[in-house]
Amino acid sequence: MSSIITDMDLATTQLILPELLLLGGIIAMILVPNLGDATMRIPLTRVRIPILIGGTRFASINNPKLPNQIATTVLALAFLTSFLFLGEHGEVGNSLQVDEFSRLFTLLFTAALFLASVATTARLPARPRASVPLDTDSTTHSDAKVNALIDNRRQVDFHILLLTTGLGMSLMAMATNLFMLFVCLELASLSSYILVAFHKETDVGGEAGMKYFIVGSVVSAVGIYGMSLLYLWNGSLDMANLAASWKGMEVIDPFAAIGVGLMLVAFGFKVGAAPFHLAVPDAYAGASSPIAGVLATASKAMGFVALMRLLLVVTMPSAGQASWLLVLALVAVVTMTWGNLAALTSDNPKRVLAYSSVAHAGYMLAALAAIGSGLADSDTSALIATAVVFHLCVLVLFKMGAFLVLSMLEAEGRGHRMEDLHGLARRDPVIATSMFVFMLSLAGVPPLSGFLSKLLMINGIVNVSAGTGSASAATALSWAQGVDPVFWLAIAIVLNSALSLFYYLRIGLVMFFESPDTENPLVHSPSLKMAIIACAVLTLLFGIGPLSDSLLDMVGSAVDSFMRS
Amino acid sequence: MGGERLIDDPLSVITLVPLAVGLLLMILPRVLPESSAEGLIRVSRNISIGVALAIAAITTLLFLGQWGSIDWTNITQGGYVLQNEAVDLIPAIGVTWKVGADALSFPMIWLTAILIPISMLVEWDAKRGHLFFPLLLIMESALLGVFVALDLFVFYVFWELTLIPMFLLILLWGGEDRRYAAMKFFIYTFTASVFMLIGILVMYFHTDAITGLGSLSGHHFDLVAMTAQDNLIPSEGLRHFVWILLLIGFATKMPSVPVHTWLPDAHVQAPTAGSMLLAGVMLKMGAYGFLRISMTVFPESTIEFVPLLIFLGMVSLVYGAWVCMGQTNLKRMVAYSSVSHMGLIFLGIATMQPLGIAGALFMMFAHGIISPLLFAVAGAFKHHYHTLEIGSMRGIAHHSPWLAAHMMLGWMASLGLPLLAGFVAEVAILIAFWMTYGWLVLLPALTLIVTAAYYLNSMQRTIFESNDPDQGILPDTLHGENPSDLTWHENAGMLTLAAMTALFGIMPFIFWDMMSDWSSGIIINTMIEAMQTQEWSP
Repeated sequence: MSSIITDMDLATTQLILPELLLLGGIIAMILVPNLGDATMRIPLTRVRIPILIGGTRFASINNPKLPNQIATTVLALAFLTSFLFLGEHGEVGNSLQVDEFSRLFTLLFTAALFLASVATTARLPARPRASVPLDTDSTTHSDAKVNALIDNRRQVDFHILLLTTGLGMSLMAMATNLFMLFVCLELASLSSYILVAFHKETDVGGEAGMKYFIVGSVVSAVGIYGMSLLYLWNGSLDMANLAASWKGMEVIDPFAAIGVGLMLVAFGFKVGAAPFHLAVPDAYAGASSPIAGVLATASKAMGFVALMRLLLVVTMPSAGQASWLLVLALVAVVTMTWGNLAALTSDNPKRVLAYSSVAHAGYMLAALAAIGSGLADSDTSALIATAVVFHLCVLVLFKMGAFLVLSMLEAEGRGHRMEDLHGLARRDPVIATSMFVFMLSLAGVPPLSGFLSKLLMINGIVNVSAGTGSASAATALSWAQGVDPVFWLAIAIVLNSALSLFYYLRIGLVMFFESPDTENPLVHSPSLKMAIIACAVLTLLFGIGPLSDSLLDMVGSAVDSFMRS
Repeated sequence: MGGERLIDDPLSVITLVPLAVGLLLMILPRVLPESSAEGLIRVSRNISIGVALAIAAITTLLFLGQWGSIDWTNITQGGYVLQNEAVDLIPAIGVTWKVGADALSFPMIWLTAILIPISMLVEWDAKRGHLFFPLLLIMESALLGVFVALDLFVFYVFWELTLIPMFLLILLWGGEDRRYAAMKFFIYTFTASVFMLIGILVMYFHTDAITGLGSLSGHHFDLVAMTAQDNLIPSEGLRHFVWILLLIGFATKMPSVPVHTWLPDAHVQAPTAGSMLLAGVMLKMGAYGFLRISMTVFPESTIEFVPLLIFLGMVSLVYGAWVCMGQTNLKRMVAYSSVSHMGLIFLGIATMQPLGIAGALFMMFAHGIISPLLFAVAGAFKHHYHTLEIGSMRGIAHHSPWLAAHMMLGWMASLGLPLLAGFVAEVAILIAFWMTYGWLVLLPALTLIVTAAYYLNSMQRTIFESNDPDQGILPDTLHGENPSDLTWHENAGMLTLAAMTALFGIMPFIFWDMMSDWSSGIIINTMIEAMQTQEWSP
């Protein structure tokens, strides 16, 4: 650690500026609300010097909205700085590597958290003018006042956790050492467990947090056990070192194989792959919608970074099939099918989105499996990895956007039943249209960005496998018998997309064609509404045209730097 | 785009302008200060119909050679006119905006441009007009995009984009059971086209790199270059497999038995304008895609699967016609007659004769005029008599002479009366079929008698037969009101369609010449070679 601190020159500062900003934000969040006019008398004199911490708070910071403002600003700044310094690369300490890949993911994480932070203004509102209940108030009135006071008090807790999640995720994307990777992953995970359970006064909140925490920590323990086996086998957890040893193995060492297998369980839980996905829908349904959105986008992206590091860097053989191909392909098919079937039968929009998120994890795993088939040359592998990362990027727009819409409903105490979406178009046509766009994009309807990313993934799979069918096959049937089984992953994605249409369209239908229980317009929150509209517009712009091309280029060069590492 | 380029590139203009105007018309009322609903609808309708008419005028001028002075009868198959300079859309994966027209697509482009203003006329007083007319404009964009795109990515985007306005048209203005029909329509056709997408992707990654395109993937979606590339997919088995994947998409859109079941539901529930466009243009997308991609790029596979085409065509034709006989719902009957007519298109292609393929092309066009007329009639019947049941009333001729006249003309055209547009196509296909397959022609020919039977039967029951010469029998749904005849706008739309039916029946050569050129071209350029390699003879 000393090396980091002593070597802290300007260049290093610039490299990890986004992370430093997040850290500064966390410190500011602790200090700023406690600033006051406290003074200290210098002993033996009458001089009192202000020490600023404690005493009566300054009027200007005595505002419960302050933590939200700090968090939003810091996340926006972190996003901007990582965008500005996208091309910078270098090593920080011995276990962090800053390159375009990690910067791109910092962008992704901060964007998702920024949206969550914006949504919190409506979901967990701070009320500067909240007052203490009076004896004369009715029960409901006094309850509301108490709730407002509680909400004000927990602003700091919530936003600190949001920033630590961001810090953990962002550092994780840079880690080149498995141990570092795991520590950062846990920093982000532990913060997110608390965020899931944050609304502990609700019936589902506490239960969801508990479930997510218990399953998550057991799975983490399994992962750490796997890591210890890898350490025993190799003597180092540096990923480049591990990769070299893996490639040098003549026969697969059981230590290494079991170690990697156990770590896959841990990361599989993070991305929501079957059969480790069972806690996912509960967690999403119990958490507030912005947090569920973070889980579905940023947290999932974090899991995929870890998976890609483990699968594509450490255990990918230089030629031929990867040993995990069959397992991953099976998990992918089971995950997407299970997710879609469960989403079909679900009546809670948040659970539907949760299961749809599971299904999407399945699509991305199928694409990774295509890389593992060993049929792809390095260009094609890069193209497939680009497709997966691109999908993770645009998910922030439409998956998060969908959760933001739900958080608008939640702000008025609804959003847990399909009926709550009924007639949304009549209450707020713009929001309903945006939600419809998000659903179509999730389903992969062109020209939205969800289509482009799904097309790239299917293309990758078809690309590596369709050439394998016997070239001399004269009939379609004999060709189909000869083709590499990876090809059928593409067909599985297609069939699953068809299945998923039912529930995506259903959400669209009920918004436009059922009559709402109430005609009241939605809770007024201009910033959240702006964020939702921006998400919807960007969902379209990243689907076709120059903007999608520049994002593809950005992701492409990020994946290049990842593949080189 | 600069001003000069716009004039040089009319196809991009007619494709993109309706989309832009349609979206603006949908968004603007939310931004501008509140105005009266009536005024809003009127403005929206006037602008929409103005744009649609302008596009119809542009395409007509293009056809007459007044604009760009194009000699339509001299486009060789494989060549395109009105091509633009490709504009990069997503160069990283080789997607460009590239448009062009030839004798295969232009009649469809013109048909779309003409049908949109007509369907707007017919549904002049649609409810929620401030959404309805812009939605039709967006529909126009999507349909034109399918026919002009020469880049398979863009083609697929427009192909799927047609679903969204049609889905909304059925949902928002449809009949009783509209939700079921809309869902079925969307899921059915979307799923089928994703199979087609896999086929397109296999083609995509077999393409050779073009400099400056596909920096990320090394491939491109350019259809012209794909067609030009020798032996695009070397493995014969894979080629057949891709052909089948494409066929799933195209046959579902056409639709062919056994994947036709979405059509009757969608038609019955859709609003009149929706049905008109669905039958008039959307069904042709399937046949267009088949001729444009499957047949042009994979001639050997097409030859290989000729028996399958004949089978699908025959089954659609015969089954569609027989099911028609049993229908009592007017729209359902017309829908099944569409299935039957689309079967004829497959038969025309399967003849592998220039005459047969030209017949199929003309069938696409003729059915594109006749079926909208039939659906306009059915819509008006529903509008004025509040029912679609064929047996529920007698003697329309007495109460609504205009409606009866159009109904009569439409049905006559559909059953293939000489001097009307449908006849030319049917005769061409049957002659070509006889030339290739001999007496097998009896099956489709006899089916045409069935067609005549069900039309004549319904005609007699609804239009003429009346127990009481003064009254006829009025349906219960009228609740004793006096029935009315067509309104002026319905009549104007139907008259245009009826006039076109007669015009193209008497003077088919207006389009026939260029179609026949194109058909000879495809046989000579690609099919003969393929027939030789496949050692195919009928």
